[in-house]
Amino acid sequence: MVKRVLLEIDNLCLSFGGLKATNDVTMHMEQKKINGIIGPNGAGKTTFFNQISGVYKPDSGSIVFDGKRIDGLKPFQINEAGIARTYQVINLFKKMSVIENVMVGMHPRLKANFFDSLLHNKKQKEEEAKAREKALDLLDFVGLKEYAYAQAGALSYGQQRLLEIVRGLASDPKLILLDEPAAGMNSTEKVELNVLLRQILERGVTILIVEHDMKLMMDISDRIFVLNYGKKLAEGTPAEVQKNPEVIAAYLGGDEE
Amino acid sequence: MEKNKKLPVAKIALCMVLLALPFLFTAVGFQYGVLVCCFAFLYIIAVSGLDIDFGYCGQISMGHAAFFAIGAYGSVMLHQYFHIPIIFTMVIATVLAAAVGAVIAYPASKLVFHFLSLATIAFGEIVYSLLLNSPKGVTGNAVGMFTDSINLLGFSLSSNESFYYFGLACTAIFLMAKWLMVNSKVGRAWVAIRENPHAAGGMGINVTKYKVMAFAVSAFYTGFAGAMYAHLVRYIGPDTFTQKQSVMFVTMMLFGGTGSILGPIVGAVLVFSITEGLRMFEQYQMLIYGALLLVVIVALPGGVYGEMKKLAGKLLQKGKGGEKSAA
Repeated sequence: MVKRVLLEIDNLCLSFGGLKATNDVTMHMEQKKINGIIGPNGAGKTTFFNQISGVYKPDSGSIVFDGKRIDGLKPFQINEAGIARTYQVINLFKKMSVIENVMVGMHPRLKANFFDSLLHNKKQKEEEAKAREKALDLLDFVGLKEYAYAQAGALSYGQQRLLEIVRGLASDPKLILLDEPAAGMNSTEKVELNVLLRQILERGVTILIVEHDMKLMMDISDRIFVLNYGKKLAEGTPAEVQKNPEVIAAYLGGDEE
Repeated sequence: MEKNKKLPVAKIALCMVLLALPFLFTAVGFQYGVLVCCFAFLYIIAVSGLDIDFGYCGQISMGHAAFFAIGAYGSVMLHQYFHIPIIFTMVIATVLAAAVGAVIAYPASKLVFHFLSLATIAFGEIVYSLLLNSPKGVTGNAVGMFTDSINLLGFSLSSNESFYYFGLACTAIFLMAKWLMVNSKVGRAWVAIRENPHAAGGMGINVTKYKVMAFAVSAFYTGFAGAMYAHLVRYIGPDTFTQKQSVMFVTMMLFGGTGSILGPIVGAVLVFSITEGLRMFEQYQMLIYGALLLVVIVALPGGVYGEMKKLAGKLLQKGKGGEKSAA
């Protein structure tokens, strides 16, 4: 089997004033792998995510996803191209029900236009029914089915994190970006997350994950990229990264040279 | 919202009762009541439209009187200068209002909250100034314009009773359309934008497109209401389309409750009745709106209908012993 690169990021740069938040970063990610990004606080991980998902436009460099250049596109176009994401801070639609949150996630895959929606014609009704069924299946997948008609804001913190992931999966992405999914989860929930991530991978979705929990990252990632001060410090398998002296220095301090 | 996925049959039955209302008013000798209902209908349509824009999509508009004006003047002028039958002029003027709404919404979609309200106030003032100082006086300027009643397939809707049924039918159609829209992909996208525009974009929703859509649909509703107003009163002048009118729409919407089908109905009927009842204090109208808004914001943050629904929900939960709580 030929290894296929799904996401190719080359020489990506972004500055805020004098601060180089992303400094000449090159990363190639293979499909159907779990790719992890680690780095100390302020290393530019979320900024990096925001460029892939279109929130920020990079100053220079390129992002090629599935053979198509996506840098500079708007967030909704990037989602349409097949990249879903979750957020570091929970960004659910709190006053909508759980199932509606998932159905919003399906938005770019639903074909009904304004007039189909206005008339509730056959095409629209069939599509909605299918979408509803699929949303329930997805909720079942993460164990949230019983809360389908509860308000999203009423879920517990860990459940809201799960809902964020399901909402991302609803658009049938090829790649899902997870920004600190384990933040605020207890140890049981973290074990469940570990299992869930592998199940997502089995569905054929490539994962790019940013996370502070080293145990989880070392355990789950196929390949790890280390960022520090906006630069790529190292990349490799978890074992390689753990032995890398520069990485150890970045995390534990020590002599710079 | 989630439980109301079926067509609201009980509410439609209520509409049937509404059919008998003019006879009731005539029987008790309160003819004026029919006219009040006619006004209530067109305000329900206007406020329901505003609610699509604000209650669902989260965009405030303090200038909806402008769309009310475009609907009214558009219809009257098309009839007067081009002799198009009135029902068609109403439709054309309404489409025009929606088109203007879309054009305004495109740049305005980048603005939020007070910036958007300022921009919409400015738009309202521009339209008002145009009515008052139109090129060659086509709008009749300060004098205004007189016009005819609606002529529907040879029947002239000149009596209040006949307009009542026309208004009722229009209200039913517009509310049904609103229900269908908000319970679809489009409605979900609007609410998602209201709840969290960044996440909505991240979920693949073209935020600008849906904001423009909500604004245009909203202008369509209010524009049609304006056209109804023109042919009900048979006279329009710039005084009807001042900032005060926009404030009244917003008051009605907030008073009744946003983001629902029934909220704007409750709000339009209550606020219009209060204003009518206090006709003798007309110079204090803005003061009355201010007081109503204050009451709603402080005491009833969900509006009258919103609070009633909350209360009903609480009572229902008590009955069930609170067995289902998701948290």
